[in-house]
Amino acid sequence: MAALYVMIPIAVIIVALAIWLFFWAVDSGQYDDLEGPAHSILFDDEDPRHQAGIDEAERSTDGDDERKT
Amino acid sequence: MAAPLPCYHCGLPVPAGSHFQARVLGETRALCCPGCQAVAEAIVAGGLESYYQHRSDTSVNPGALPRALTEELELYDRPDVQQPFVAHEGELARTALHIEGISCAACGWLIERHLKALPAVEDASLNLSNHRLQVRWDDARLPLSELLAQIRRIGYAAHPYQPDEAAARMARENRRAVRQLGVAGLLWMQVMMASMATWPEFNLDLSPGMDRILRWVSLFLTTPIVFYCCTDFFKGALRDLRTRHLTMDVSVSLAIGGAYVAGIWSTVTARGELYFDAVGMFALFLLAGRYLERRARERTAAATAQLVNLLPASCLRLDASGDSERVLLAELKPGDRVLVPPGALIPADGRILEGLSSVDESVLTGEYLPLPKGPGDTVTGGTLNVEGPLTLAVEALGDESRLSAIVRLLERAQADKPRLAELADRVAQWFLVVVLVAAVVVGLVWWQLDAGRAFWIVLALLVATCPCALSLATPTALTTATGSLHRLGLLVTRGHVLEGLNHIDTVVFDKTGTLTEGRLTLREIRPLGGELSADACLALAAALENRSEHPIARAFGRAPEAAEHVENVPGFGLEGRVSQRQLRIGQPAFVASLADRESPPTPNEPGQWLLLGDREGPLAWFVLDDQVREDAPALLEVCRRQGWSTVLLSGDSSPMVAEVGRQLGIGRVAGGLTPADKLAELARLQQAGKRVLMVGDGVNDVPVLAAADISVAMGSATDLAKTSADAVLLSNRLESLAQAFVMARRSRRIIVENLVWASLYNGLVLPFAAVGWVTPMWAALGMSASSLLVVLNALRLART
Repeated sequence: MAALYVMIPIAVIIVALAIWLFFWAVDSGQYDDLEGPAHSILFDDEDPRHQAGIDEAERSTDGDDERKT
Repeated sequence: MAAPLPCYHCGLPVPAGSHFQARVLGETRALCCPGCQAVAEAIVAGGLESYYQHRSDTSVNPGALPRALTEELELYDRPDVQQPFVAHEGELARTALHIEGISCAACGWLIERHLKALPAVEDASLNLSNHRLQVRWDDARLPLSELLAQIRRIGYAAHPYQPDEAAARMARENRRAVRQLGVAGLLWMQVMMASMATWPEFNLDLSPGMDRILRWVSLFLTTPIVFYCCTDFFKGALRDLRTRHLTMDVSVSLAIGGAYVAGIWSTVTARGELYFDAVGMFALFLLAGRYLERRARERTAAATAQLVNLLPASCLRLDASGDSERVLLAELKPGDRVLVPPGALIPADGRILEGLSSVDESVLTGEYLPLPKGPGDTVTGGTLNVEGPLTLAVEALGDESRLSAIVRLLERAQADKPRLAELADRVAQWFLVVVLVAAVVVGLVWWQLDAGRAFWIVLALLVATCPCALSLATPTALTTATGSLHRLGLLVTRGHVLEGLNHIDTVVFDKTGTLTEGRLTLREIRPLGGELSADACLALAAALENRSEHPIARAFGRAPEAAEHVENVPGFGLEGRVSQRQLRIGQPAFVASLADRESPPTPNEPGQWLLLGDREGPLAWFVLDDQVREDAPALLEVCRRQGWSTVLLSGDSSPMVAEVGRQLGIGRVAGGLTPADKLAELARLQQAGKRVLMVGDGVNDVPVLAAADISVAMGSATDLAKTSADAVLLSNRLESLAQAFVMARRSRRIIVENLVWASLYNGLVLPFAAVGWVTPMWAALGMSASSLLVVLNALRLART
């Protein structure tokens, strides 16, 4: 039971931190659009940087395969 | 004939013989019009053709977007015009634009990518919930007008968005609501852990010291919930008590306040039950309900903002030497000379100095045919110049104009609007009275039996019967129903519509644009005995009218080929050559004079009669009129089945009014009414105790829309009509209105079910609380179960 004397204040501090973080997120506009971000992930495939990343990954795995054979 | 191919871009049927096409995603696609072709080509040229792969809905036809001339857009480059909505940060300018024409999430991607590809644009991000685009760009390299033109090039219309006081307040309140909701949620969970540990049901065998600490911790954590999250409830309760009303806010405040104060007492004395977790749960549920309601309201507000065109009204002013210059309407003075090109709105009341044309006054008068106007005639601001350029002398502006007389009538009408009492508030009153009486009686009885327990029993009773489910009953149902109606194409902008629709007994319709299409359509072709068939005559006429902007021309559809050397003779008709044949279409005398003949007598039937002829003589009659909407008879049938009386009030004085009334079987028909007449007619109905639903679209309907118990404006209506109505039929389909009646009945049934269930739960729990059996655990269980049931029941309205 004695552990609770330490745990409870820590819990309260963590809640305070969480609320501070939440306020910061609200103020930076992260809750303003609740629809767009759900769709934007679908278009990541069109991002040239993402495409470049895939190409690079494929090239390196191809390279690994070649070395193995 | 095979079904016409849908346009690849907008989904409208492609007219036969169309040669508009574009290469998209490796295939040649048929398109319906040059507008779609230009947009599709621009999208492909920008390397963004995967838009077509990802979109979940067809795009909006560019022709359906509000038109804006390049030189009108250039007004936005004037520093004094853009000052209210463009902010400068160093070299970059920042603005918010309102985008029209967004049909699915892929549109957002397309717009953002297209703009970011422009070198001058630093950042662009679109908010899909309210269709607002934030752009930061270098306006020295790219003027604002060019930015707007770029968005238009890919098929969207952008207006500068000026957050007015109301919108800014809404955004602020929205963030506050999210914060309150988050704080209530986070703290409630902590409070629950701390206070549940003290419940005897869990049998934790706490030491007295630990018990004390947990009580103090939950008090500490509950305090922000009460004083930060619940302020709105207390404020509302105070306001309602001052006006001597017992509302939901009063009972909510009583339950939260009572439980909190008792909690302090039990914390300080270290005895008795702890109801802090009930406070947190109650606050979280109510705040969540109100937040969802707020979001639904915000979506409607965003859609309403879209209804109002923000382009500053401008016009072409002529100086002494006859050169024209585009100026803002606000800069115009009486006595100025103004040039109005065909297809443009007339900027102010005035008198025609030069030019022959016809003017479409349907928004003001409901007359469906454009009226011919010439020098010396007066014209009214807000009406549409149809055929030829007109030069006007401005006579009245602002408060003196005819349009603002209607707006004044509107303000008077709004003050007279009857209010419908809301069901939920009436129930809340009864509920509160019953609970308070029960609390007093139970308190007195226990005081006699066991004075020490009396306080705790009364408190348990107040918490257990707290109206959580009751206060969620109505808002959740209305929010879900409003969302479903929005999907059906009816935008509800004022809260009382859904409840009010159930009390209606009279429906008043406008004619032009409401029951009828509001545009001329070809009813009949009568060939005059020549060798040409009706279809051949139509092809010739369509070729002649191909380039014209006149509403008559649009009735002929799009022709694959255009006539050559087309000449417009305002007030008479068109002349041109189609495959070596000299043709005229228009007024009978004008057409007959081409062949040097007497004109044949115009048939004595309603409608606009046009003659087509060549050098040999007249070829065919074309009859145009404004046809009744396809779904109008079905709507009237629904009204009849409901037993409602129907009334047609039109500003049109032509025999068309009686004809439409007869065709649709409308009970009472009146034509040739001024806006004031219509308002008087409505006042008479309301004095006779009728509850009136008004459906209209024109400026002349605006006062009636504002005064009716419930009003619905068509989606194609004027801005003023849309903003003064309680709901807007975005889809323009009268069918949606019939569905709305069904939805209103369903949502009323769900609301009643919810209220009955919530009252039943509270009624059942009351005797248990009165004999002292309800502990905090049972209160929490009952409250969450009854609230969940109410919300799930309301969600049934989401199924359409």
